[in-house]
Amino acid sequence: MRIRLRQLFGLSRLYRGQPGTGHRRIGSIAVGAKLLGLMVLSFFAFGTRTSAGLLWLTGINLALLFVFRYGFIFLRREIKVFLWQTVIIVSLYILRFGWIEGFKPGAMISWQLSLTYVPGLIFVKTTPQPRIVETFSAVVPYRAAFVMATCLKFIPLILTEIRNIYEGQVFRGAKILRKDLLNPINWPDLVFCLALPVIIRSMNLAGEITLAAKARNFGLKKKRTCWPGI
Amino acid sequence: MIPASGIYLQAVTCPITRSSIFTTNYNTGDAVASTACKRREVDSVVRIKNYSYAYPDTTQFAIRNINLDIETGQCHCVSGPTGSGKTTLGLAIKGLLPPGKEEGRISGVSATEDGGTDIGIVLQNPEIQILASTIGAEIAFGLENLCVDPAAMPARVGEALEAVGLDRPFENETAHLSMGQKYRLILASHLVMNPRLLILDEPAGQMDPDGLKKLLKVIQALKNAGMSFLLFEHNPEFLTEIIDVYWHLDSEGYLRAGHFKMSVYDPLRSGSPGSGRLGATDGEVVSVRKLTVSGADGSPIFSDLLLRVAKGQRVTVYGANGTGKTTLLRCLAGFVQASAGYVMVFGKKPVPRNLRGKVGCLFQNPQQQLFENTVYDEVAFPLKRYGKRRSAMASKVDEMLSMCEIGELAEFSPHKLSYGQKHLVALASVLAADPELLLLDDPFAGLDQSRCEMILNLLSRLNQEKGLTIIWACHHPQMFSGWADLEFLMKRGKIFAHSS
Repeated sequence: MRIRLRQLFGLSRLYRGQPGTGHRRIGSIAVGAKLLGLMVLSFFAFGTRTSAGLLWLTGINLALLFVFRYGFIFLRREIKVFLWQTVIIVSLYILRFGWIEGFKPGAMISWQLSLTYVPGLIFVKTTPQPRIVETFSAVVPYRAAFVMATCLKFIPLILTEIRNIYEGQVFRGAKILRKDLLNPINWPDLVFCLALPVIIRSMNLAGEITLAAKARNFGLKKKRTCWPGI
Repeated sequence: MIPASGIYLQAVTCPITRSSIFTTNYNTGDAVASTACKRREVDSVVRIKNYSYAYPDTTQFAIRNINLDIETGQCHCVSGPTGSGKTTLGLAIKGLLPPGKEEGRISGVSATEDGGTDIGIVLQNPEIQILASTIGAEIAFGLENLCVDPAAMPARVGEALEAVGLDRPFENETAHLSMGQKYRLILASHLVMNPRLLILDEPAGQMDPDGLKKLLKVIQALKNAGMSFLLFEHNPEFLTEIIDVYWHLDSEGYLRAGHFKMSVYDPLRSGSPGSGRLGATDGEVVSVRKLTVSGADGSPIFSDLLLRVAKGQRVTVYGANGTGKTTLLRCLAGFVQASAGYVMVFGKKPVPRNLRGKVGCLFQNPQQQLFENTVYDEVAFPLKRYGKRRSAMASKVDEMLSMCEIGELAEFSPHKLSYGQKHLVALASVLAADPELLLLDDPFAGLDQSRCEMILNLLSRLNQEKGLTIIWACHHPQMFSGWADLEFLMKRGKIFAHSS
C-alpha cells in the first residue's frame, strides 16, 4: 500500500557527498573536542585578570576565526555588538565609580565578556546543526539537545521579527528610537511596545516550531538516529 | 457501475499503471478483486464521520459534524473564511490537536513501515517549519525521528528531493533558498516518510506566482503517481488544475460541498470606492532617483530605481519573494540607508523621527505589534503618543473601530481575537494617527477574499476622502489588479512600470 518514491519515479541516481558511518564517528569526536577546546577558551576569558592575558586570548580567538573561516560579515556584526556593549558597560562604570576609576575596569569587563562568548559563536557558526545535536545528545536527552540547536537556528528569524515590530511601533508613535531612549521617561515604551510583543511573538513562535517538529514525528520514539551528512 | 448480488463493483484506475485493474465493493469499502496491480489498491486514505472538535477550555466546537472521504489519488480543496477552522481540521486528521472535546471519528489513517502515520501536513509558514540548516539534514529530520538507519537516509532524501524538483546538493544551506524552494523542501521532508495523504495549509499564501507554478507541477506529478492531497486554501484559483473536489468550511465550522468561484476584485464595480477616485493631486510625496541599496555582503539588492508618487496616488509594487520590495519600503521609511542615489519623502531625506505621524507602516504579520489589554487601548495608543485630547481621542477611536467593522470588539483583549480580527485591529491602530502616506508590506497575506475586499474598500475610501497616499507591496499581481493608479514590478534588482 505504501507509496515509495523510488517505485513512483524509478529513481536511480547517485547522490553527491553521501557520507559513511565512519565519517560520522570521526566527525562526532572532532565536534566534541572542538566544543571542549572552545569551552576551555571561554573559561580562560573568565579567569584572566590582566591586559596581557586578554591580549593573548584575543590573538588565539582571532587565529581561530581565521582557521574556521568565520565570515567577515559576521565578524563585523560581532565587532558592532562589542562596541555597543563596551559603551554601555563603560558608561555604567563611569556613573558608578567616576572617570578615572571607572573607565579601565569597565573596558576590561567588556573585553572579557566578548572573549567569553566569541568561542561559543565560533562553535555555532562553524559546526553543522546535526553534529551539534548529536554531540549534545551524548550528554543530555535528545529533546534538550534539539531545543538547544533549534534555538540557535531561529535567532536570525527572531531578530527579523524584532526589527519588524520595532519599525512598526515607531510609526505608531512609540518613543523607542535611539534618541528617544536617551530620556528615561521613554523607557517604559521599550518594555510595553517592543519587549512585550517580542515575548508574545517568541512564545507563539515556540508553539509553531513545536507543531512543525511534531508534524514530522518528533517525540514519537524514545530515541533518534542522526543524519550522517552535514 | 454494475450491481451484482447487492455488491456494487466499479472499475478503477491504478495510479501507477494508469489502467483499469480492479473493482471495489462500495457496500463494505473493501477491494474484492485485483488483477494486475499488487502494490496498490484504490481506497479511502482517510474517512471522517460526523467529526466535531472543541479546543480545551472552550465549550464551542471549532469544527462541527465534518464528513469527508478522501480516496487515493484525489485532491480535495477546502476553502472558507479566515478563522473558520481549516487548520484545525488539518491538525485533527494528522492527530496533532491538543486533547479537547471530540465527537465522531476519523478512520483510515494507518502506520508506515517506519512507524509513523501515513499523513503529512505542511503548515502555513515554511520559514518556521525549516528546522535544520542544510537541505539534507532538513529532509532527514523525520527519518531521524523514526529511527531510520542513517546509512539508508541519503538515498531516501535524494529521492524526495528529486520528487519535488529541487536539484541541490545535500550540504546547501536552507537559508539561501527562495520561499518557493523552501516550501518544496518542506514538501520533500514529508514525502521522505512515505505518506499517502499530504495536507497543505494555505500553499498560495506565502508564495509568488512562479513558486506556485513549480509547486503545482510537483503536486500534479505526485497526484498522478497516486498521492492524495487535501488543500486548505481560500484562493484556489492558482490550483484549479489539480483539484477534484471542492469544499467550503463556513464560519460556524460546518463543511459543505463547495464549488470554484473566481474571486477577482473589481475596482470599477458599481458602488466600489475604486471608481471615480480623486487620483493624484499636486505635490510629490515620494521621489526616488537612481536608488541603490546593498545587502550585508555588499552586493546590490536593487539598483538605479526610479519611483515618483504624488499625493493621493495608490501604488502597488509587485515582485517575487526576495526581490527587494520590503527593503524598498524600509528605505522609504528611513530604516535602510541607500548605498547610492536619491530618496525624498515629503521633500526631505527620510528619517524615522521626522516621519512619525505622517507615515503609517504595516509590515507582514501586523498582529505582532499588538500589546495593549483591550482593542480600544490598542487603537488609542498612537493618539495618546501624538498628544490628542481625551475627547477627540474617544471619537477618533470609535470612528476607526466602526470603519474597520470591529466596534463590538472594543473591550476585548486583542490577543484573544481571530487572525483576521487582529489584522483589522492593527490596521485601525495605524490609521488612527491619520497618516498621509501608508506603506503596506503584504500585510494581508493569508486573509480571505471578503476581508481583503473590505480592507481595500476602506483604504480606497480614505484615499478618496483624505487624499491618503498608499504604497502597497505584494507578490500576487492579479489580486488587486486595476485598483492602483501606478503599478510597478520589481524583478532582478530593477523596477519596471507594470500594466495589468
